[in-house]
Amino acid sequence: MKGPSIQSIIRPIIVVGLCLTSATAASQASGPSKTVLGPQNPDLYHGANALLAGDGEEGVRLTLLGLERATNARERTSARSNLCAGYVVLKQLEIALAYCNEALADDDRYWRAYSNRALVYIKLGRLEEAEQDLQQAEALAANAHTVKLVRSVLLDVTNPVAPEIVIDDRRQPADEQDD
Amino acid sequence: MNKMIRNRRTLLLLALLIPGLALRADDVPMVKYTLDDSGDRMPLHTVVPAYPEKARRARVEGEVEVCFKVDHFGRTSRVAVRRSTNRVFEKPARDAVRHSTYYPLPDGQKLSGIKTCRTFRFLLTPVEVEVPDS
Repeated sequence: MKGPSIQSIIRPIIVVGLCLTSATAASQASGPSKTVLGPQNPDLYHGANALLAGDGEEGVRLTLLGLERATNARERTSARSNLCAGYVVLKQLEIALAYCNEALADDDRYWRAYSNRALVYIKLGRLEEAEQDLQQAEALAANAHTVKLVRSVLLDVTNPVAPEIVIDDRRQPADEQDD
Repeated sequence: MNKMIRNRRTLLLLALLIPGLALRADDVPMVKYTLDDSGDRMPLHTVVPAYPEKARRARVEGEVEVCFKVDHFGRTSRVAVRRSTNRVFEKPARDAVRHSTYYPLPDGQKLSGIKTCRTFRFLLTPVEVEVPDS
């Protein structure tokens, strides 16, 4: 059986991966004890929402503005990771990779950037590096839905499987009536 | 606010995965069917359950046994899971049985009252890897 095209597997989930990048980062940036009325960095916030809506160009434009106006390290890291995801949507993988690298240079425990970079590496066919980043993301956020999706994308590239359903109507020995 | 964003993410995820699935011809499962012709009812229309995408992504296989009654007209009822290795497979298996039918009984023949059971095995078969052009 011929496997599905790698591009056809990755394309839809790449977009999912980027869209699941934190949209709330801006509003979470100020720490748990401070009351925030609305996002502190509206451009970053709306940029993330544009990415969630699948609008790569607008998402990148706003996120770049958000990065310029970032007031703390958390916002900058979040913006760079989101830009990484945004440029994947725009199919500018080298720029995406550069932003992911910057995000991880800012914070080497930022799992979203590892997850996004793993997707970039998959897209670039650099599967060993993708595996390394995915392991990092899993170590930091094992239960994150995005990380699980990226793992499945990588598995679909390295170990594709086809579903098979077996329907067995044979009477089992223990089938004798229990009702 | 966070709940709203989570909901939006879920919606987006679904919207993106559905067209994505359409791209994957290999997601149409291969089906093997073992019929038991020793029973008093013969299947007419057998619905094949879909392989749950969540399970496929996580490389989870499993087995579900569903028991049910078949009425005079061949419709299934009282569908219940008797045994399963993973809950993710139960709903597709139940739904498949609910939408399956059997040949009606000939006039004058009485229902036996015996439950019918059907076992579904959800398996994943490795497929050939297509190496992309660099």
